[in-house]
Amino acid sequence: MERLAGTEARLSWRVATITESKPESPHAKTLVLDVPGWPGQRAGQHVDIRLTAEDGYQSERSYSIASAPETPALELTIDRVEDGEVSPYLTEEARPGDQFELRGPVGGYFVWEATSDQPLLLVAGGSGLVPLMAILRQHELVGSGAGTRLLLSARTLEDVLYRQELEALRDRAEAVTVHLTLTRDTPPPEWSGWARRVDRAMLEAVGPGPDARPRVYVCGPTPFVEEAAGLLVEIGYDPRSVHTERFGG
Amino acid sequence: MHKDGNAIAGVLEEIFTVEVTAETRTCQSCGQENAIGAHRLFTGAGYVLRCPNCSDVAATIATVPGDYRVTLFGAWSVQPPQ
Repeated sequence: MERLAGTEARLSWRVATITESKPESPHAKTLVLDVPGWPGQRAGQHVDIRLTAEDGYQSERSYSIASAPETPALELTIDRVEDGEVSPYLTEEARPGDQFELRGPVGGYFVWEATSDQPLLLVAGGSGLVPLMAILRQHELVGSGAGTRLLLSARTLEDVLYRQELEALRDRAEAVTVHLTLTRDTPPPEWSGWARRVDRAMLEAVGPGPDARPRVYVCGPTPFVEEAAGLLVEIGYDPRSVHTERFGG
Repeated sequence: MHKDGNAIAGVLEEIFTVEVTAETRTCQSCGQENAIGAHRLFTGAGYVLRCPNCSDVAATIATVPGDYRVTLFGAWSVQPPQ
Protein backbone atom coordinates (compact mmCIF):
# COMPACT_ATOMS: atom_id res chain seq x y z
CA MET A 1 0.00 0.00 0.00
CA GLU A 2 2.93 2.28 0.57
CA ARG A 3 3.89 2.35 -3.08
CA LEU A 4 0.29 2.95 -4.11
CA ALA A 5 0.07 5.84 -1.72
CA GLY A 6 3.33 7.22 -3.09
CA THR A 7 2.17 6.89 -6.67
CA GLU A 8 -1.17 8.46 -5.96
CA ALA A 9 0.61 11.38 -4.41
CA ARG A 10 2.67 11.80 -7.58
CA LEU A 11 -0.15 11.45 -10.07
CA SER A 12 -2.90 12.98 -7.98
CA TRP A 13 -5.10 15.75 -9.33
CA ARG A 14 -3.83 19.11 -8.15
CA VAL A 15 -5.43 22.52 -8.28
CA ALA A 16 -3.78 24.85 -10.80
CA THR A 17 -4.32 28.61 -10.59
CA ILE A 18 -3.85 30.76 -13.67
CA THR A 19 -1.45 33.61 -12.92
CA GLU A 20 -1.19 34.96 -16.46
CA SER A 21 -2.78 34.41 -19.86
CA LYS A 22 -0.69 35.46 -22.87
CA PRO A 23 -1.90 35.42 -26.49
CA GLU A 24 0.51 33.57 -28.82
CA SER A 25 -1.55 33.62 -32.04
CA PRO A 26 -5.14 34.54 -32.96
CA HIS A 27 -6.29 31.19 -31.54
CA ALA A 28 -3.63 30.09 -29.04
CA LYS A 29 -2.82 31.26 -25.54
CA THR A 30 -0.11 30.46 -23.04
CA LEU A 31 -1.39 29.94 -19.52
CA VAL A 32 1.13 30.53 -16.76
CA LEU A 33 0.14 28.38 -13.80
CA ASP A 34 0.77 28.16 -10.12
CA VAL A 35 0.54 24.49 -9.07
CA PRO A 36 1.37 23.93 -5.39
CA GLY A 37 3.36 20.72 -4.93
CA TRP A 38 4.30 20.46 -8.62
CA PRO A 39 7.08 17.81 -8.75
CA GLY A 40 8.89 19.22 -11.81
CA GLN A 41 8.92 17.86 -15.35
CA ARG A 42 11.11 16.75 -18.23
CA ALA A 43 11.09 18.55 -21.57
CA GLY A 44 8.47 17.00 -23.85
CA GLN A 45 6.07 15.82 -21.14
CA HIS A 46 2.42 16.77 -20.91
CA VAL A 47 -0.32 17.20 -18.31
CA ASP A 48 -3.90 16.01 -18.11
CA ILE A 49 -6.45 18.73 -17.38
CA ARG A 50 -9.89 18.01 -15.93
CA LEU A 51 -12.75 20.47 -16.04
CA THR A 52 -15.91 19.81 -14.04
CA ALA A 53 -19.19 21.49 -14.96
CA GLU A 54 -21.71 22.59 -12.35
CA ASP A 55 -23.82 19.49 -13.07
CA GLY A 56 -20.81 17.26 -12.39
CA TYR A 57 -20.01 16.51 -16.04
CA GLN A 58 -16.27 16.10 -16.44
CA SER A 59 -14.03 16.53 -19.43
CA GLU A 60 -10.35 15.56 -19.61
CA ARG A 61 -7.73 16.61 -22.14
CA SER A 62 -3.95 16.43 -22.43
CA TYR A 63 -1.80 19.50 -23.07
CA SER A 64 1.92 19.72 -23.68
CA ILE A 65 4.11 21.68 -21.33
CA ALA A 66 5.76 24.65 -23.07
CA SER A 67 8.10 25.84 -20.33
CA ALA A 68 11.55 24.43 -19.69
CA PRO A 69 12.02 22.33 -16.54
CA GLU A 70 14.38 25.03 -15.26
CA THR A 71 11.66 27.70 -15.33
CA PRO A 72 9.84 27.95 -11.99
CA ALA A 73 6.33 28.53 -13.38
CA LEU A 74 4.53 25.86 -15.37
CA GLU A 75 3.38 27.11 -18.78
CA LEU A 76 0.97 25.44 -21.18
CA THR A 77 0.21 26.73 -24.66
CA ILE A 78 -3.30 25.84 -25.71
CA ASP A 79 -4.61 25.99 -29.25
CA ARG A 80 -8.35 26.52 -29.54
CA VAL A 81 -10.11 23.59 -31.18
CA GLU A 82 -13.40 24.66 -32.75
CA ASP A 83 -16.27 22.80 -31.04
CA GLY A 84 -13.82 21.58 -28.39
CA GLU A 85 -15.03 20.98 -24.84
CA VAL A 86 -11.97 22.25 -23.01
CA SER A 87 -9.77 24.46 -25.21
CA PRO A 88 -12.39 27.19 -25.93
CA TYR A 89 -12.80 27.69 -22.18
CA LEU A 90 -9.04 27.75 -21.55
CA THR A 91 -8.27 30.12 -24.42
CA GLU A 92 -11.26 32.47 -24.30
CA GLU A 93 -12.88 32.45 -20.89
CA ALA A 94 -10.26 31.50 -18.33
CA ARG A 95 -8.76 34.50 -16.53
CA PRO A 96 -5.94 34.97 -14.03
CA GLY A 97 -7.14 33.69 -10.68
CA ASP A 98 -9.30 30.96 -12.25
CA GLN A 99 -8.59 27.40 -11.18
CA PHE A 100 -8.87 23.93 -12.66
CA GLU A 101 -7.63 20.43 -11.92
CA LEU A 102 -4.39 19.17 -13.42
CA ARG A 103 -2.26 16.06 -13.01
CA GLY A 104 1.20 15.21 -14.19
CA PRO A 105 3.73 15.44 -15.54
CA VAL A 106 2.99 12.36 -17.61
CA GLY A 107 4.78 10.55 -20.41
CA GLY A 108 8.31 9.17 -20.56
CA TYR A 109 8.50 8.43 -24.27
CA PHE A 110 8.42 11.82 -25.97
CA VAL A 111 11.05 13.40 -23.71
CA TRP A 112 14.52 14.81 -24.16
CA GLU A 113 17.51 14.29 -21.88
CA ALA A 114 19.35 17.58 -21.65
CA THR A 115 22.61 15.80 -20.85
CA SER A 116 22.62 14.15 -24.29
CA ASP A 117 24.90 15.48 -27.04
CA GLN A 118 23.09 13.50 -29.72
CA PRO A 119 22.00 15.83 -32.57
CA LEU A 120 18.34 16.78 -32.57
CA LEU A 121 15.89 17.09 -35.43
CA LEU A 122 12.60 18.67 -34.37
CA VAL A 123 9.67 18.69 -36.80
CA ALA A 124 6.49 20.50 -35.79
CA GLY A 125 3.12 21.05 -37.41
CA GLY A 126 1.22 24.02 -35.97
CA SER A 127 0.80 23.76 -32.21
CA GLY A 128 2.94 20.60 -32.33
CA LEU A 129 5.68 23.12 -31.63
CA VAL A 130 4.68 23.33 -27.94
CA PRO A 131 6.54 20.30 -26.51
CA LEU A 132 9.44 20.96 -28.89
CA MET A 133 9.64 24.51 -27.53
CA ALA A 134 10.14 23.03 -24.06
CA ILE A 135 13.11 21.13 -25.52
CA LEU A 136 14.49 24.24 -27.29
CA ARG A 137 14.09 26.35 -24.16
CA GLN A 138 15.86 23.78 -22.02
CA HIS A 139 18.53 23.38 -24.70
CA GLU A 140 19.28 27.10 -24.38
CA LEU A 141 19.01 27.32 -20.60
CA VAL A 142 21.48 24.48 -20.00
CA GLY A 143 23.77 25.62 -22.83
CA SER A 144 23.47 22.29 -24.62
CA GLY A 145 25.93 21.70 -27.43
CA ALA A 146 23.63 19.22 -29.20
CA GLY A 147 23.29 20.45 -32.79
CA THR A 148 19.58 21.14 -33.23
CA ARG A 149 17.46 21.75 -36.32
CA LEU A 150 13.84 22.83 -36.09
CA LEU A 151 11.43 22.63 -38.99
CA LEU A 152 8.08 24.28 -38.26
CA SER A 153 5.14 24.08 -40.60
CA ALA A 154 2.40 26.64 -39.96
CA ARG A 155 -0.60 27.74 -41.96
CA THR A 156 0.20 31.45 -41.90
CA LEU A 157 2.87 33.67 -40.38
CA GLU A 158 0.52 34.82 -37.63
CA ASP A 159 -0.11 31.17 -36.70
CA VAL A 160 3.57 30.74 -35.81
CA LEU A 161 3.78 30.33 -32.05
CA TYR A 162 6.60 32.03 -30.12
CA ARG A 163 7.61 33.84 -33.31
CA GLN A 164 9.83 36.49 -31.72
CA GLU A 165 11.45 33.94 -29.48
CA LEU A 166 12.20 31.68 -32.45
CA GLU A 167 13.70 34.59 -34.37
CA ALA A 168 15.87 35.50 -31.40
CA LEU A 169 16.89 31.88 -31.01
CA ARG A 170 17.86 31.73 -34.67
CA ASP A 171 20.07 34.81 -34.30
CA ARG A 172 21.59 33.91 -30.96
CA ALA A 173 22.06 30.18 -30.56
CA GLU A 174 24.86 28.76 -32.66
CA ALA A 175 23.83 25.17 -32.16
CA VAL A 176 20.24 25.81 -33.29
CA THR A 177 18.86 26.38 -36.78
CA VAL A 178 15.23 27.33 -37.34
CA HIS A 179 13.37 26.65 -40.58
CA LEU A 180 9.81 27.73 -41.30
CA THR A 181 7.36 26.79 -43.97
CA LEU A 182 3.95 28.39 -44.52
CA THR A 183 1.25 26.27 -46.10
CA ARG A 184 -1.74 28.59 -46.55
CA ASP A 185 -0.41 32.08 -46.97
CA THR A 186 1.20 33.94 -49.74
CA PRO A 187 4.34 34.74 -47.75
CA PRO A 188 5.52 38.35 -47.31
CA PRO A 189 7.94 39.61 -50.01
CA GLU A 190 10.99 39.39 -47.76
CA TRP A 191 10.10 35.81 -46.73
CA SER A 192 13.16 33.59 -46.68
CA GLY A 193 11.44 30.39 -45.60
CA TRP A 194 9.47 27.84 -47.60
CA ALA A 195 5.86 28.15 -48.71
CA ARG A 196 4.64 24.60 -49.20
CA ARG A 197 3.79 21.52 -47.22
CA VAL A 198 6.62 19.50 -45.70
CA ASP A 199 8.10 17.19 -48.32
CA ARG A 200 11.13 14.99 -48.76
CA ALA A 201 13.34 17.68 -50.33
CA MET A 202 12.58 20.02 -47.43
CA LEU A 203 13.47 17.44 -44.79
CA GLU A 204 16.67 16.61 -46.65
CA ALA A 205 17.56 20.32 -46.79
CA VAL A 206 16.96 20.75 -43.04
CA GLY A 207 19.08 17.72 -42.08
CA PRO A 208 21.13 16.46 -40.33
CA GLY A 209 21.01 13.36 -42.47
CA PRO A 210 20.50 9.81 -41.21
CA ASP A 211 24.28 9.32 -40.99
CA ALA A 212 24.43 11.87 -38.16
CA ARG A 213 22.05 9.58 -36.25
CA PRO A 214 19.97 12.38 -34.76
CA ARG A 215 17.22 11.88 -32.24
CA VAL A 216 14.06 12.96 -34.04
CA TYR A 217 10.86 14.38 -32.56
CA VAL A 218 7.79 14.92 -34.72
CA CYS A 219 4.67 16.51 -33.25
CA GLY A 220 1.46 17.87 -34.71
CA PRO A 221 -1.91 16.86 -36.09
CA THR A 222 -2.09 13.14 -36.96
CA PRO A 223 -2.03 13.57 -40.79
CA PHE A 224 1.00 15.86 -40.52
CA VAL A 225 2.90 13.42 -38.28
CA GLU A 226 1.99 10.45 -40.48
CA GLU A 227 3.34 12.23 -43.54
CA ALA A 228 6.50 13.63 -41.94
CA ALA A 229 7.42 10.45 -40.05
CA GLY A 230 6.82 8.37 -43.20
CA LEU A 231 9.13 10.64 -45.21
CA LEU A 232 11.83 10.52 -42.53
CA VAL A 233 11.86 6.72 -42.56
CA GLU A 234 11.88 6.79 -46.37
CA ILE A 235 14.95 9.07 -46.28
CA GLY A 236 16.67 6.51 -44.10
CA TYR A 237 16.30 7.61 -40.48
CA ASP A 238 16.10 4.73 -38.03
CA PRO A 239 12.37 4.33 -37.21
CA ARG A 240 13.29 3.77 -33.55
CA SER A 241 14.93 7.20 -33.42
CA VAL A 242 11.79 8.92 -34.73
CA HIS A 243 9.61 9.85 -31.76
CA THR A 244 6.11 10.92 -32.64
CA GLU A 245 3.30 12.69 -30.84
CA ARG A 246 0.03 12.92 -32.74
CA PHE A 247 -2.59 15.39 -31.58
CA GLY A 248 -5.42 13.71 -33.48
CA GLY A 249 -7.55 15.23 -36.25
CA MET B 1 -8.18 9.92 -35.76
CA HIS B 2 -5.53 7.91 -33.97
CA LYS B 3 -2.92 9.30 -31.60
CA ASP B 4 0.03 7.64 -29.81
CA GLY B 5 0.22 5.54 -26.66
CA ASN B 6 2.04 8.51 -25.21
CA ALA B 7 -1.29 10.39 -25.15
CA ILE B 8 -2.68 8.10 -22.43
CA ALA B 9 0.48 8.10 -20.33
CA GLY B 10 -1.64 9.36 -17.42
CA VAL B 11 -4.22 6.57 -17.72
CA LEU B 12 -1.47 3.94 -18.08
CA GLU B 13 0.28 5.33 -15.03
CA GLU B 14 -2.97 5.04 -13.07
CA ILE B 15 -3.27 1.39 -14.13
CA PHE B 16 0.36 0.30 -13.71
CA THR B 17 1.19 2.77 -10.90
CA VAL B 18 4.39 3.62 -12.80
CA GLU B 19 5.19 5.45 -16.00
CA VAL B 20 5.30 2.82 -18.78
CA THR B 21 5.25 4.68 -22.11
CA ALA B 22 9.06 4.51 -22.38
CA GLU B 23 8.95 0.75 -21.69
CA THR B 24 8.48 -1.71 -24.52
CA ARG B 25 6.08 -4.35 -25.72
CA THR B 26 6.86 -7.24 -28.06
CA CYS B 27 3.99 -7.96 -30.41
CA GLN B 28 2.37 -11.40 -30.31
CA SER B 29 1.71 -11.20 -34.05
CA CYS B 30 4.73 -9.68 -35.77
CA GLY B 31 7.31 -10.10 -33.01
CA GLN B 32 8.51 -6.50 -33.25
CA GLU B 33 9.44 -4.68 -30.05
CA ASN B 34 8.26 -1.08 -29.76
CA ALA B 35 7.95 1.52 -27.03
CA ILE B 36 4.46 1.54 -25.56
CA GLY B 37 4.34 5.30 -26.19
CA ALA B 38 4.93 4.60 -29.90
CA HIS B 39 1.90 2.33 -30.22
CA ARG B 40 -1.15 3.64 -32.05
CA LEU B 41 -3.98 4.81 -29.85
CA PHE B 42 -7.62 4.68 -30.86
CA THR B 43 -10.19 6.25 -28.56
CA GLY B 44 -13.91 5.71 -28.27
CA ALA B 45 -15.82 4.45 -25.24
CA GLY B 46 -12.38 3.41 -23.97
CA TYR B 47 -8.95 2.98 -25.48
CA VAL B 48 -7.42 0.48 -27.90
CA LEU B 49 -3.65 0.35 -28.39
CA ARG B 50 -2.33 -1.27 -31.55
CA CYS B 51 1.11 -2.39 -32.69
CA PRO B 52 2.72 0.40 -34.79
CA ASN B 53 4.15 -2.22 -37.14
CA CYS B 54 1.32 -4.69 -37.80
CA SER B 55 -1.69 -3.00 -36.15
CA ASP B 56 -2.66 -6.05 -34.09
CA VAL B 57 -4.25 -5.25 -30.75
CA ALA B 58 -1.86 -4.52 -27.88
CA ALA B 59 -4.37 -3.50 -25.22
CA THR B 60 -8.02 -2.74 -24.69
CA ILE B 61 -8.92 -0.42 -21.85
CA ALA B 62 -12.59 0.06 -21.06
CA THR B 63 -13.52 2.87 -18.73
CA VAL B 64 -16.24 2.06 -16.22
CA PRO B 65 -17.20 4.43 -13.41
CA GLY B 66 -14.29 4.56 -10.99
CA ASP B 67 -12.44 1.74 -12.69
CA TYR B 68 -10.71 0.41 -15.80
CA ARG B 69 -11.13 -3.04 -17.42
CA VAL B 70 -7.83 -3.87 -19.05
CA THR B 71 -6.79 -6.68 -21.40
CA LEU B 72 -3.18 -6.83 -22.55
CA PHE B 73 -1.75 -8.73 -25.53
CA GLY B 74 1.87 -9.55 -26.32
CA ALA B 75 4.79 -9.30 -23.94
CA TRP B 76 4.88 -6.06 -21.94
CA SER B 77 8.24 -5.29 -20.32
CA VAL B 78 7.29 -3.09 -17.41
CA GLN B 79 9.58 -2.31 -14.50
CA PRO B 80 7.98 -2.83 -11.09
CA PRO B 81 7.48 0.31 -9.03
CA GLN B 82 10.58 1.37 -7.10
